[in-house]
Amino acid sequence: MSRADGSEAASVPSVPDADVLDGMVDDEAPDPREELAKTEYRTDLGLAMAEDAKRVAKGELSGDAYWEKYDEAAEAEFGDDYRETPNPAIDADGARQTVSRETAENLGCSVGSMASVAESMASEAGAEGEAGDAPAGDEKWGMVIDLQKCVGCDSCTVACKAENRTPPGVSYNVVMEEEHGEFPNVTRTNVPRPCMQCENPPCVQVCPVSATYKMDNGVVNVDYDRCIGCRYCMIACPYGARYFDFGDNYDDEVIGSGEVTSPEYGVDRGPREDGKSPVGNVRKCSMCMHRLNRGEEPACVETCVGDARNAGDLNDPESEVSELAESNRSFQLKESEGTDPNVYYLK
Amino acid sequence: MATNTLDYDPGFRNGRFRVAWYALLAVLLAVGGWATWRRISVGMASTNLTSISPWGAWVAFYIYFVGLSAGAFLVSTLANVFEVEGLEKIDRDALFAAIVSMVVALLFVWTDLGRMDRMYHPFLYRQATSALSWEVHAYVAYIGVLVTELYFSMRIDLARVAEETEGWRAKLCGLLTLGRRETSDESHETDERWLKRAGLLGIPLAVFMVHGGTGVLFAVAKARPYWNSGLFPVIFVISAVVSGTAMVSALYVLRAKLLTGERLDRALMDRLGKLLAGFIAADAAFTAIDALIALNSLHPHEVETWLIVLFGEMSWSFWWFMVGCGWVLPLILLSKRSWRRSPVPLTAAGLSVVAGIVAVRFNIVVPPQILPVMEGLPHGSYFPTAIEWLTSAGMIAVGLLIYSLGAEVLPLRPLDAPEPTGATGGGGEENSADQTTPAAADGGIAETGGDDR
Repeated sequence: MSRADGSEAASVPSVPDADVLDGMVDDEAPDPREELAKTEYRTDLGLAMAEDAKRVAKGELSGDAYWEKYDEAAEAEFGDDYRETPNPAIDADGARQTVSRETAENLGCSVGSMASVAESMASEAGAEGEAGDAPAGDEKWGMVIDLQKCVGCDSCTVACKAENRTPPGVSYNVVMEEEHGEFPNVTRTNVPRPCMQCENPPCVQVCPVSATYKMDNGVVNVDYDRCIGCRYCMIACPYGARYFDFGDNYDDEVIGSGEVTSPEYGVDRGPREDGKSPVGNVRKCSMCMHRLNRGEEPACVETCVGDARNAGDLNDPESEVSELAESNRSFQLKESEGTDPNVYYLK
Repeated sequence: MATNTLDYDPGFRNGRFRVAWYALLAVLLAVGGWATWRRISVGMASTNLTSISPWGAWVAFYIYFVGLSAGAFLVSTLANVFEVEGLEKIDRDALFAAIVSMVVALLFVWTDLGRMDRMYHPFLYRQATSALSWEVHAYVAYIGVLVTELYFSMRIDLARVAEETEGWRAKLCGLLTLGRRETSDESHETDERWLKRAGLLGIPLAVFMVHGGTGVLFAVAKARPYWNSGLFPVIFVISAVVSGTAMVSALYVLRAKLLTGERLDRALMDRLGKLLAGFIAADAAFTAIDALIALNSLHPHEVETWLIVLFGEMSWSFWWFMVGCGWVLPLILLSKRSWRRSPVPLTAAGLSVVAGIVAVRFNIVVPPQILPVMEGLPHGSYFPTAIEWLTSAGMIAVGLLIYSLGAEVLPLRPLDAPEPTGATGGGGEENSADQTTPAAADGGIAETGGDDR
């Protein structure tokens, strides 16, 4: 389309030159004046703030100057909404704060981090029931894994390690791969094995300090602050689903591997440190309870290339997992153990 | 019995042996201390344990010492509850050894915790369905019973020592009487009555809770079919009695040779030897029954685990230590009346069993963690690291140290029972037979009189 534009462009086939590209972006961008006119707020203030924000981004204006300039006007225009919403520029002296402390103290808006902004949005969405996938609180989480669909790619194992940031030697989900028969009549079964979240969990039965317990939502929890690391639960688990955290880490492979940890069971424990729980504790799959609580699927379910894994509410007879678990292809691992897993498999 | 002054000196007879013995313990404690520091600073990564084989040497030694304790205690009840003749001489020794074993057992459990700093949690948080939760409480109650028993068994002699001798030992013994300093026959009867009561309380505690319960701890693990048998806790108790009797027999002879110098009671030795042989036979028989049930079940996990025990990589520990040292050698040594009545074979049989039962405990803990619980998971493989061995040596040395110090200070042998052989003259014919155990051999000496203190 841009052959005519010049000889330089012609030497690089099918790549338009930069000016043309910029023009295309400008054509697509909505007109700010029109957009702001659709709101009940002042268009001129919005335009001025946006222009100056661009200057802040370019480094032509400091964050301090920007907020000092607009603080009063914004407060007058947005009122309580401005005063009560945490300003992401002010992270309570955290790493992401972009203005000086003096400026931050003089501003009329409340203080908070990006994380707290995201949380408040999530909780509002939950409270108002706007997001249809946010949990109501009466679920019993379960999982159904279709063995006909599993291709044994191990991506669930990888997604689980990435999501839960588990250390070396700890893998909440593994895929047990077995070959049967003799060449050329060989078949292969791949059985992914997360924690079964048993209805009658032997691990809960044996824990001397009740550090591991069954929650109302069906998840078997581990309280890392109570666990003494006796490993009796690992002896008792018929599925080998529990792992001891020996304190190893991926520092040699990944810089800052322990800086962020997963908020397992909804508890954010900060960076991974020697001698601090969960080091020295027993760990296992939590069915990504922290994700379920946000209305998201467990990482293994989300990533599964063959759509072999399903997670959802077993208390809801209409849910996909309930219907699959009722199917005549459905079975549980080691049914004779009496553990009654909440993870079902389809033959 | 002493009339005005008591010749009370229960310490080692040979000063050089004492120095050598404590030097050995000091070396073990130093090495063990270093290893323990490594274990604490490096954490559980200092072990060869894995998530497939989460229990290892420390758990094996823990149940070993719980068994030793329960066994020694049950031997003591033969004296103080069932009043078997002659056994009152070893009553206190058995109780004291039972206490020390229990302390060592708890050291092992403590070391084994992933979070050693949370060792008090089982007393804050409980779980009624957890055998381990019950066990922890049973251990504390059991130590309480043992200490109570030892007190009532020993108090009258503590009072005598406090009254009739002088020096720091007399003062210490006086303190340990807890103010009850009477030495009348009446006070002795009161002691005996309470001793019996505590013993009666202790028997079910030791059999069903402390050691039977430790067996239950394994037997309830349904995920491990090798342990999941009703016979398992019974075998636990029997093997505990085997190891306890063996330890008490060996201690009786070693103590007479190394510490008190008293004339050995041949009838008592014969009785101990017969008891030990009987218990060994029962242990072997029940283990065989357990193996037959497992093999006949054709349950793949059970059969394969037994095959690992019998023919696997570590089968030497089964054949040489468990069968050889634990059963065959002691049964041979105890087979003749004259051997049972002489110190060398009896002590050798006792120590052989004490070593053999270590293999029994390892063969309980390790093999069922080799096969994975689910086909498709990796197999386990476990042999303790140097850190695990050295910490274990250190903890055992702590036990030996406590026992040695106690034996040197406390009247663990009833004061009126022995007829002390001449402190300087030394020699009965039993002394010449002293060369047997390595300990006695390097201490040397009974016939030289051994009195350089």
